[in-house]
This record gives sequence, C-alpha cells and structure tokens, in this order.
Amino acid sequence: MKKSVLIGPAIVILIWFLISNLNIVDKFFLPDPISTFKELFSLIFNGTILPDMVLTLERTISAFIIALIIGLPLGLILGSSRKLYESFEFVIDFFRSIPATAMFPLFLLIFGIEDKSKIGVAAFASVLIILFNTAYGVIHAKKSRALAAKLMGASKIQIFRFIYFWESLPQTFIGLRSALSMSLIIIVVTEMFIGTYAGLGRKIIDFQITYNITSLYAVILLTGILGYLINFIFIYTEKKLIHWSGK
Amino acid sequence: MKSIITIKNLKKNFNQKEVLQDISFKINEGDIVALIGPNGCGKTTILNILSKLIESDGGEFKINDFKQHDFSYIFQSYRDSLLPWKNIHENIAFPLKLQKKSNEEIERTISEIKQIFNLKIDLKRYPYELSGGQQQTVSFIRALINKPKILFIDEPFSALDYENNLLIRKCLQEYHLRYKPTVLIITHNIEEATHLANKIVIFSRPPTKIIKIIPNKEPYPRPNSFLKSEGFNKIKDEVLDAFQIGVNL
Repeated sequence: MKKSVLIGPAIVILIWFLISNLNIVDKFFLPDPISTFKELFSLIFNGTILPDMVLTLERTISAFIIALIIGLPLGLILGSSRKLYESFEFVIDFFRSIPATAMFPLFLLIFGIEDKSKIGVAAFASVLIILFNTAYGVIHAKKSRALAAKLMGASKIQIFRFIYFWESLPQTFIGLRSALSMSLIIIVVTEMFIGTYAGLGRKIIDFQITYNITSLYAVILLTGILGYLINFIFIYTEKKLIHWSGK
Repeated sequence: MKSIITIKNLKKNFNQKEVLQDISFKINEGDIVALIGPNGCGKTTILNILSKLIESDGGEFKINDFKQHDFSYIFQSYRDSLLPWKNIHENIAFPLKLQKKSNEEIERTISEIKQIFNLKIDLKRYPYELSGGQQQTVSFIRALINKPKILFIDEPFSALDYENNLLIRKCLQEYHLRYKPTVLIITHNIEEATHLANKIVIFSRPPTKIIKIIPNKEPYPRPNSFLKSEGFNKIKDEVLDAFQIGVNL
C-alpha cells in the first residue's frame, strides 16, 4: 500500500481532533478521535459488537447473493437484445428511481418483521443495479470481437458465451461492487427499524437512544470500515479475475 | 485454373456518395490477389461485402463452395479482434474450439502452424502483454489455424518492423505452398503487393473503378533476393504507374 493513501485519513482525523478538543462542537456530541477509537477497540476486543457485525454481514451477503442470482442472468438476457432491453428500460429506470427504503413498509407487510423483509428490500435494490450494469455491459460491448467470432463460424450462442459475456464483465463487476455497497447500506438502515434485536444498525439506534455518543461514533466508524473492507476485497478480486480490464 | 470468386458490377454507396462503381474481377483458386488503391477507395468495403458483413447496393458476387469454417479474415484492427481474457494459446485455438475439434487435433494443428511461423512467443501470455507486431503475428496465426480455403487480410503488416514484415511474408508463402488457400490482401505497400501477389488489382479514387489488373507470374517461394531483381522492379514500376493514374483520375 502506498504511504500517500494514509495522508487523507490522517488529515481528517487531525481536523476531527482539533474541532473536538478546541470545543468548536460540543464534546458531548463529537467525542475526540482517541476516545472513539478506544471505544471501538474495546467493543471489538471484548466481543460485544461481534455478533452484530456478523449478523449485518450475513444479511448483506444473503441479499447480495439473491440479487446476483436474479440480476446477472436477467441482465445478460436483456442485454443480448437491444429491443428487449428497450421494452423493459422504463420499468427498470422507474424502479431504480424509487428509494429502496420506501419499499420497506411493503416488504414488512409481505415478508413479516424478521430478516426476510430486510434481506428482501436490500436484494430488490441490488438486483436493479446488477441487472442494469450487466445489460449495459453486454449492449455496449465492442462489436469487433463478436464480428471476428461470427466470421469464424461461431453460432449466436457461442458468440454470447465466448464473447459478449466476457466483454460485459468489467461493467458487470462495477454493478456487483455497487450492489454490494448498496446491500450493506440498506441492511444497516433497515436494522434501525422494528423487528431487529441485533445488527450494526440496531446498535447505532440503541446507542443514540441511550445517549452513548462515543459508542455511537465507534459503531458508525466500524460500519464505514466494514464497507471499505468489502469494497477493497471486491476490487482486489476484480483485478485478479478481470486482468485485462483497461489494458 | 478454376475460378473461386467472381465479382460482377459490384456497387456500393455511402451517404449517397458512390464509392464502388461497377467493380468486376475474377479470382482463381489458389491465387494471392493484392488490392491496391488510394485511401477511401473501398478496398475494405469489397472484403466486407464478400464476407457478408455488409450488403452491396448493386451487382453480384459468387464464392464457389463457400463454407464459413473454411474462411478467415484478418482485420486491420488486430488489437480488437484478439480476446484479451484468453491467453495466446487459447486465442490461437479459438477457431478450432468453435468447431468443437478435439484437444489432440488442436494441439497438433497449433504445433504445425507454429513450426511454419517459427513462433517464439510464450503462449501462456495474454495479448495485452505483447507488442503490436507480436499481436499482429498472433492474429495472423489464429486466422490460419483452421487452414482456410479463402483468406482475407486487411493491412497485414502495418504493425511489423521491416525484419518481421519480411519474415511474415516468407511464412505466408510457405503456408500458401503447403495449403494452397486463395488469399485477398489489402495493402498500401506496393513492394508487399509485388512480392506476394500473383495478381495485383489497382483501384482509382472514388467513384472507384479498376485501373488495371497486373499479373505477376514469378513462381513461389519468392525469396528476398527477388526484391532486387529486374522482374520485380518491372512489375513494381507498372503497379506504381497504374496507381498514379488511379490517384490522379
């Protein structure tokens, strides 16, 4: 990792430290970074936050996998025909324009107050992201390689399997990465609502209600770190799998 | 010699501008035909019409016993036709994979062609790890792997330095002597055309007409020493004269 990567976070923490210690914002509402990080380490190492973290991750990954199973093949099918995509373009854009959390009450009614509704609403938002990006990747794939394969005598199915699928992968992965981040965001938000006994979102609300502000910041920080790590692992995997991207 | 491609009064317009105007010529089985003409005269368009990538606006053409698997086309944009997610070995084997040939047959054919081209590239590398010239050589080999009866080549040597250019010309002749494909080459290089082709078709500026078809009866293989011979220079001068007529028309 380049040393320069640490400069940005160091500056942000320094500004945070100054604002808090110079009392620019009331210390009760903005505890200093040292006590926040201390609280974060104590929450992690005494194990109190780990079950919440695991549960949030489980829900996020479940939502993502469901979205992947539905969104990827649908995106490939819709992308394979411009006419087909155009027929569904309005529907996709319409649902993409609805904030996913606005659908949560509906999902609560359909799936009940337990995990299914949270996972369902996160999967719903992620499906649309994966579907849109995959279809876009196929539609805008370079035609020259497909043309070359056609001249080699490839059938339509072979062109799709050997060319378009691979051509669309860089764009598909952009969709998958955004979908995973979206799943985490929605899971954490929905955990703040009714029917949840554990999860990072639940903990944030609990600490807010009890005015345990340092712990509140610590969990927010932890959620951010988790999101960043998921993204980091995904980018690393993407670089290994789609080694040709941008070359 | 039996004719394999017959083109009769071929016409093509782009944006209501006439590009090809009644193009007619015949190509015999086993011919190497070079197409020469100024930029934009429709050389690539002729190959694209013959390979059914685009339709003509008039005239007709016939390719005897045409089978897609017996046909190869090396595009000018060689970078965009290699598959970057496959390594060089997989890229070369790709046309045979499409034909569902056995791994044994694929390996046998690759080593046959590799031998002709004296290929020294690590086959486990990916196209983006190769130089432009190496990529062009790989796309050349990939096009020959299915031993096509008809081969179209658009600007085959554009990314090669002169040394490798001469080497590929030599390999192409060896391949031609062994497998006897009918070859259509588009080139801007009169030396390349005179070296390789047994028939050189010279086109004018659009609306494009054929200025002259020049035969070159020198037998194959034509070594590099042929480039210094009187016969070579005579044909080259004839091509140049016809080319200048085409440009100034």
